[in-house]
Amino acid sequence: MDYLLNSLDAALGMIAHLDREVLDAVWTSLYTSLTAIVLGALLGIPLGALVGLGRFPGRRLSMTLLNTLMALPTVVVGLVLFGLFSRQGPLGPLGLLFTPWALIAGQVVLAVPIVANYTVAAVAGADPRILPTALTLGAGRLRGSWQLLLEVRFGMMAAIVAGFGRVIAEVGVAMMLGGNIRGSTRTMTTAIALETSKGEFAFGLALGIVLMGVALIVNLFLHQLQQR
Amino acid sequence: MQPLLTLSDIIFRRGDFALRIEGLDLRAGRIYLLEGGNGAGKSTLLQLLALLLPPAAGTIRFAGEPVADEAQRQRLRRQITLVEQNPYLFDTSVYRNLAFGLRLRARGGETQERHIRQALQRVGLAGFKARHARALSGGESRRVALARAMVLRPQLLLLDEPTAGLDREVLPIFEECLAALPGQGTTVVVASHDGDQSRRLAGEVLTLDQGRLSMASRPASSQPRPSAMET
Repeated sequence: MDYLLNSLDAALGMIAHLDREVLDAVWTSLYTSLTAIVLGALLGIPLGALVGLGRFPGRRLSMTLLNTLMALPTVVVGLVLFGLFSRQGPLGPLGLLFTPWALIAGQVVLAVPIVANYTVAAVAGADPRILPTALTLGAGRLRGSWQLLLEVRFGMMAAIVAGFGRVIAEVGVAMMLGGNIRGSTRTMTTAIALETSKGEFAFGLALGIVLMGVALIVNLFLHQLQQR
Repeated sequence: MQPLLTLSDIIFRRGDFALRIEGLDLRAGRIYLLEGGNGAGKSTLLQLLALLLPPAAGTIRFAGEPVADEAQRQRLRRQITLVEQNPYLFDTSVYRNLAFGLRLRARGGETQERHIRQALQRVGLAGFKARHARALSGGESRRVALARAMVLRPQLLLLDEPTAGLDREVLPIFEECLAALPGQGTTVVVASHDGDQSRRLAGEVLTLDQGRLSMASRPASSQPRPSAMET
């Protein structure tokens, strides 16, 4: 028990004194996850709107596929992208493996299905009068669809927040594509997993507390959005 | 004079319901009262007239031009506006609701401000510009929806039961607005259950019965009488 209490005391001390190593991992996690969610939203929202609003053959299959991709294991994404980015892989010459960009690419793959699925749900639950109202006031289909997205903007924000929650907490992609390089690709999750195994339990605990804080803020924000 | 909108041999089906219109001419600057019981097809006919639904068969002509495809429907919808019975107001201010269609038509700036102010005055909501649409009562929402349509000055304005369930004191505001529109070049079609409304608005009566337009007649008086609109 003393071990746990002493470690907790040391972890809180690291957070209070803004320990450089802790801050580095927090910063890497935040900027890679934020970049990934911006890119994921740029891809996932139009994709979700297309599947949710479109009437095309294979729409149901697309929805099933998006649902399945939402549960994609992070290590599988990491494995596939590792193959693409590795020296012998088709994208090997770009030299992205073990850089933040490889990590971001993996997180985008994880974020897109979540953002798209939340968008499909938001669009499906939208008031059916929105589109005809926009059309009769003179909008074309594209402008009408944009208006519909604006009307369900809280659902869109929930999509982005949920996607951010997924990417910041994942470890498989960050481990396989980032490689936990100090000051470059060491995120909170990889640091917790690897530094703890090296006996740095207090360090892992400090990052765990910060990660829980971020997760709590994300969930509180999501809860607020879902109340709107 | 060429009709504003013509329907010929129109068939529209939805499930077991079928709407058949052998012929209908809507002339410019007139008021038409569309009557019929529940399920007669009034709302469907209004959506066809608003070019929101394509018919399964038949021809729609707007100002003599046959409406053939979605691109044409989209272009002509700028001349036609439908106000639903339970209208949807965008989740923003009253002003932005009224500005929506004007911006699409690139009618911004001072003209936009003036038109919005005038439209809100006409529906008795002069001070409501900054109010949020979601904070309005049911009657106020209907008046905003009417103002949002009128501000566009469409050639054809379609209204689905615009006064159903409204307070008696609000009714004259609606009817005075509608009665004034033909003088400004707008043709008005009002779907209504209220037989007295036909008399008050002195419009031509179209009767729908089980998906068929069975009668079109003109009442004795063809001009609206403001005194007769008081209930």
